[in-house]
Amino acid sequence: MNLQNSTRRQFFGTCGIGLGKIGLGSMMAGGFANAGDLSDFAPKAKRVIYLFMAGAPSQLELFDNKPRLREFDGKPIPPSVIAGQRYAFIQPDAAVLAPRFSFSKHGQSGQEISDCLPHLAKVADDIAIVKSVHTNQFNHSPAQILVNTGGPIPGRPAMGSWVSYGIGNETENLPGFVVLKSGGNLSGGAAMWSPGFLPGKHAGVPFRQSGDPILHVSNPAGVDNQAQRDSLDLIRKMNERRFDVVGDPEIETRINSYEMAWRMQSAAPELIDLSKEPEAITEMYGPGDFAKNCLLARRLVERGTRFVQVYHSGWDHHSQVEKGVTAQAKNVDQASAALIQDLKMRGLLEDTLVVWGGEFGRTPMVEASAALGRSQGRDHHPQAFSMWFAGGGIKPGVTIGKTDEFGFNVIEDGVHVHDVQATILHLLGLQHEKLTYRYQGRDFRLTDVHGHVVEKLLA
Amino acid sequence: MVRVIAAFILSTTAFLTAAEPIDFARDIRPILADRCYKCHGFDDNAREADLGLHNFSSATQDLGGYQAITPGDPEKSEIITRMLSDDEDEVMPPPNANKPKLTPAEISTFKQWIKEGAKYEAHWSFVHPRKSNVIPPRSKLENPIDAFVEKRLKAKKLSFSPAANSNTMVRRLYLDLIGLPPTPEQVETFAQLATEKNLPSAVSQTADELLASPQYGEKWSRDWLDLARYADTNGYEKDRPRSIWPYRDWVINALNADMPYDQFTIEQLAGDMLPNATIDQKIATGFHRNTMLNEEGGIDPLEFRFNAMADRVATTGTVWMGLTTGCAQCHTHKFDPITHTDYYALFALLNNAEEPEIEIPDPEIIAQREKIQEQIRSLEIAETQKIDKAKFTKWIAQNTRPLGNWTDIKPRKSTAEGILLEVENENVIYASGDFTKRHVYDLEFDISGIKPPITGIRLEALPDERLPANGPGTAYYEGRKGDFFLSEFTATVDDQKIGFKNASISFGKIAIGSGKVTPEGVFDGNGSSGWSTATGEGKRHELILEFEQPIQGKSLDVSMLFERHFVAALGKFRIAVTTDAKPVPADASTTPNPAVSSDIDMETAYVNIAKEFAAFQKKVTSLEKSIPALPTTLVMRERTSKNPRETTRHHRGEYLSAKESVGPAVPAIFESIDGDPNRLNLAKWLVSEKNPLAARVAVNRAWRAFFGRGILYTAGDFGLQSETPSHPELLNWLAVKFIDDGWSLKKLHRQIVTSQTYQQQSELNSELMVADPQNVLLSRGPRFRMSGEVLRDAALASSGLLSKKIGGKSVFPPQPSTVAAAAYGGTKWNVSKGEDRYRRSLYTFSKRTAPFAAYLTFDGPTGESCLARREISNTPLQSLTLLNDTMFLEAARALAESTLLNHQSNPVASKIFQRVLSREPTESELIDLTNFYEAQLARLKKNELDAQKISGKPDPELAAWTLTARVILNLDEAVTKQ
Repeated sequence: MNLQNSTRRQFFGTCGIGLGKIGLGSMMAGGFANAGDLSDFAPKAKRVIYLFMAGAPSQLELFDNKPRLREFDGKPIPPSVIAGQRYAFIQPDAAVLAPRFSFSKHGQSGQEISDCLPHLAKVADDIAIVKSVHTNQFNHSPAQILVNTGGPIPGRPAMGSWVSYGIGNETENLPGFVVLKSGGNLSGGAAMWSPGFLPGKHAGVPFRQSGDPILHVSNPAGVDNQAQRDSLDLIRKMNERRFDVVGDPEIETRINSYEMAWRMQSAAPELIDLSKEPEAITEMYGPGDFAKNCLLARRLVERGTRFVQVYHSGWDHHSQVEKGVTAQAKNVDQASAALIQDLKMRGLLEDTLVVWGGEFGRTPMVEASAALGRSQGRDHHPQAFSMWFAGGGIKPGVTIGKTDEFGFNVIEDGVHVHDVQATILHLLGLQHEKLTYRYQGRDFRLTDVHGHVVEKLLA
Repeated sequence: MVRVIAAFILSTTAFLTAAEPIDFARDIRPILADRCYKCHGFDDNAREADLGLHNFSSATQDLGGYQAITPGDPEKSEIITRMLSDDEDEVMPPPNANKPKLTPAEISTFKQWIKEGAKYEAHWSFVHPRKSNVIPPRSKLENPIDAFVEKRLKAKKLSFSPAANSNTMVRRLYLDLIGLPPTPEQVETFAQLATEKNLPSAVSQTADELLASPQYGEKWSRDWLDLARYADTNGYEKDRPRSIWPYRDWVINALNADMPYDQFTIEQLAGDMLPNATIDQKIATGFHRNTMLNEEGGIDPLEFRFNAMADRVATTGTVWMGLTTGCAQCHTHKFDPITHTDYYALFALLNNAEEPEIEIPDPEIIAQREKIQEQIRSLEIAETQKIDKAKFTKWIAQNTRPLGNWTDIKPRKSTAEGILLEVENENVIYASGDFTKRHVYDLEFDISGIKPPITGIRLEALPDERLPANGPGTAYYEGRKGDFFLSEFTATVDDQKIGFKNASISFGKIAIGSGKVTPEGVFDGNGSSGWSTATGEGKRHELILEFEQPIQGKSLDVSMLFERHFVAALGKFRIAVTTDAKPVPADASTTPNPAVSSDIDMETAYVNIAKEFAAFQKKVTSLEKSIPALPTTLVMRERTSKNPRETTRHHRGEYLSAKESVGPAVPAIFESIDGDPNRLNLAKWLVSEKNPLAARVAVNRAWRAFFGRGILYTAGDFGLQSETPSHPELLNWLAVKFIDDGWSLKKLHRQIVTSQTYQQQSELNSELMVADPQNVLLSRGPRFRMSGEVLRDAALASSGLLSKKIGGKSVFPPQPSTVAAAAYGGTKWNVSKGEDRYRRSLYTFSKRTAPFAAYLTFDGPTGESCLARREISNTPLQSLTLLNDTMFLEAARALAESTLLNHQSNPVASKIFQRVLSREPTESELIDLTNFYEAQLARLKKNELDAQKISGKPDPELAAWTLTARVILNLDEAVTKQ
């Protein structure tokens, strides 16, 4: 049997008849790989919360302080720097726009953070800031899909799907890979949590903002829990009887799926009920959908979910970047910092990796357009942007990488988005070059044919 | 215990087979492909140590006193030494290759192969299946399929399982051929046939009926649409709707008509190039228009056109060659004999088409349109009789505007990078080619013949049916279709730049963004201000500029810059100049100018404008609204020979790294194309004797649809890394038979269902679990979960809700609104009403970024790329869907209601059970169901449960039966084809 072409379902199905009933734990919790097959090192992180800032926050307003841009305000960047670049909306010879905020140093580490992120500044010593991230896509949809799946075109498995495939889930009652969303439109869309060619059970499960958080997790109207349980008991009994006749282990798997569905039905309402959280905690996260999702993310990882993608859209500031960044910083700063503090208080930070970042950066040059009615904005900039990491095996309080004086190009310790992916897998105990899946004659992996673990980020 | 014995049997078998002579294809090549070819394969650039192991001559070349392979002498073969080495620097594959070392058994196989002469053979799938080589084994069995299958079963000391019982058989046949379960009456009819004659005759006769039913095409088109990556939206960020359902209907019709697969292929790939192509043949080319379109603002549209082309090459490879050409986009294929250049040569074959959207001249709709238009015309004629002459004369006087004197001028030179500017009749210039976000049109005019002074210049933006939305612009995504944006207009006379002082336009509007049109913006040096005519698509517009100083000279050079964050070049236009003392400004009135219009036209305009005809105008407006639009669809249209598109090789497959030009051809390993190497001849080549793969790939796909796994398991991949087929001779036989039968899919399907192999029961026992756990040997019938679409169709059919309407626009069955709302732009999912709520799943609107949740949960496609094989997973989210989704609850309710209505005299539980599962329940099953029903009924009667909420009526019995039907719809048997 070609193991890579078989699903785990088939694998268990094959063994099932000899082993009797398969423990639910092994079915849902197990990933394809034993950690030992893929890594020569112990995992530092057991779970991931990825705060994805969709739309691409301006690194020049948040983390990458470039005083030189103030001197060049209104003047074009030297042609030697900008030669041969493609942009989404502007021409490369547009004038420089000075940074809109001032920066200060924080904590014992002295990390430099913009004054519009006062809450994050308080946890400066817990995070590692990387100022030299770069990508090769300059439009939202392909760039977001690249960060999330390793390729710019829809169709490859998401990072969370790879992790689920690699090391499985820690709970039987909730999905292993959950997607939470707030803010505006998400350009990359469902391709970012698709399992691609991996088996369907590794799909990211988007929690809905209204109605059932997980589709159909509530009983239909009029069906109470007893009627539901009665139904499940009868389904089980009749399926078991059928199994005795037919002998197909797939029936056993289906029986187990129904039992898991039942458990999910009771676990989900408990999970999303934030009313039992102490007031001090909800206050720490602050108001808004993103804050709610951060808290939900903590509750998910606490209950064993392996990978939580928290998307927050609204960072695409082609016009009025100052106003835009101020508003979004208000939406995410407090909750992002609170998540770190909360995880730390619970002792979860040491084996929970928190990642914060967008799909690319923003230009040092201004964007303005009469046709679009835009002014004082910044266009897409794939050459350099900033991210931060915390927890699970990350060296806290460090700044990695440098850009040139205009914040245009990376000049030290470049970190490609594929390197970010390699590092996340590494922290989970997975070697990115070994976590492969054969599809249509080729071994695919999250990092495509690229990626290096960013050693400087490791504790 | 069973497992221990199994392990013993398996290892014994392995030991016995090891003594057979070495078969290169079976024993050696898979290992070479997996462990060696990455560095010692087809790719010259990736080759290490200048050593290739992919063919005999390279593998046996002199490497300086020694050879990697010395035929006949394993001891003198370096490859063996390296395989055995313990030295990290010597051993092959090397540790950094991340490939497992060869096992001692594998090494001894290699030794024996070398000893036997190290013979290389062509890969089986690259050799054309020949009739002479595919004679079925001698057997008493009637259907040759069974002879092939029996041969392998016998070799493993197995035999066929008994035939399935009549109920199982009829259900399987219906689900496979039409994707719907049989009704209890159809089950009964089949059982009678089987009793009167025998089961095989009943299958044969019923199969003929089903193959002739229109539901056959609906069922089988779904599989094809997976390959075609069909969807009703564009994909990527904005994922806006598109109209391409006529292509989907074409597939249904073609399959129902049993269009031969070769013709089916040719029409879809190149129907537009067939002589006197019919509208249907054009619609068929929608196959390769199912690629995604990125409408994100700011993208480089040609990069995404390149991506779409790469998708077309990959899809063509998968569907007709079973090859993963995708690897060769970036470099020469490491495992298959497809070079980097081969890939772009194949790319070039497909790369010479325009991608228009066409209207389908549906005669019925045309007749309706004409009827309404005639009605309007006669109303107008009648209304003009009521015109008050005096008022009209006054109106004419008020509306008569001065006309300028304009002379159209013809450029002696017109150029634009990447764009062909052709001068057509009446000095009109038409632009074609690959448009992107920024274009400069340079035009050179001889003005020596015009009597100076020239005071002004006019640009007419003209409509044309070849342009998106009839032009005048070329915008086809993100912006309004047919939009353009003129950023800058500059004029030079005899190398002297000329300024402008006044600008006027007949109409101007900007779409996308909050900007306003400023006619002067076309000469203000700011590229983001200028002229656009959004919402005025399909009409003529003009821009008039007055020169700062009247000009005179020999040569007038005009340069126009078109630039926005999407394609915004002008598609059709004309330039004129005036020698009037002062240019008459552009006419912005929507009323026709009496100075240039006929009296009748003015009268008609008058009744349509003047206030006193308000009642008439209201009538006309409502009639105009009722004119039905012609459906549109996306097609391919080969470029004219004047403007062929160049294809280049792209280094590492990157769009920006274009290298040398590559001419169109099929990969060099195959025989070349007959005739001109173009899309049509590629299509013909794919289904010709020269392509050894098309028929094999097609029959393997059909086999998988019936049995759940192909004869070759790796369905999309027939290349060197593919697994060995389970029944290679059967695969070849079916392929040859398929071609001999005139590429008839219906005959192929008939061939399969009439085999004993297909008609076996699917029960597993412990012996089969060990001997043939995956049913690779076909020791039993197929048994696997149905697709989400079939599940829904089956639930709707057995409950009597299913609509039988075929074709038409896609529909919106119920699903939680949060599914579509999660997509970009918070898409609304307006649930269809009436019959459309219950159409077959094939017609469900397919949105790429928010696929219909129930299908996706059951491993349905997103339509983002060609899908050769769906996963068949089994997850808790599927259970939640079947248990709690409104759609399935509605089916349960309808099942209960109609059963109660029609079958009062029969046991209700038994009847519902039969309608869903095509068999009667056993006694104990019936008891369980009845007990459940009674228990729920008791609770309903005690008001512990609300009957109204469950069944929509305050009827406890109906509610209890609804709950019972819901259980039955959730049984494994209900979701499984067995």
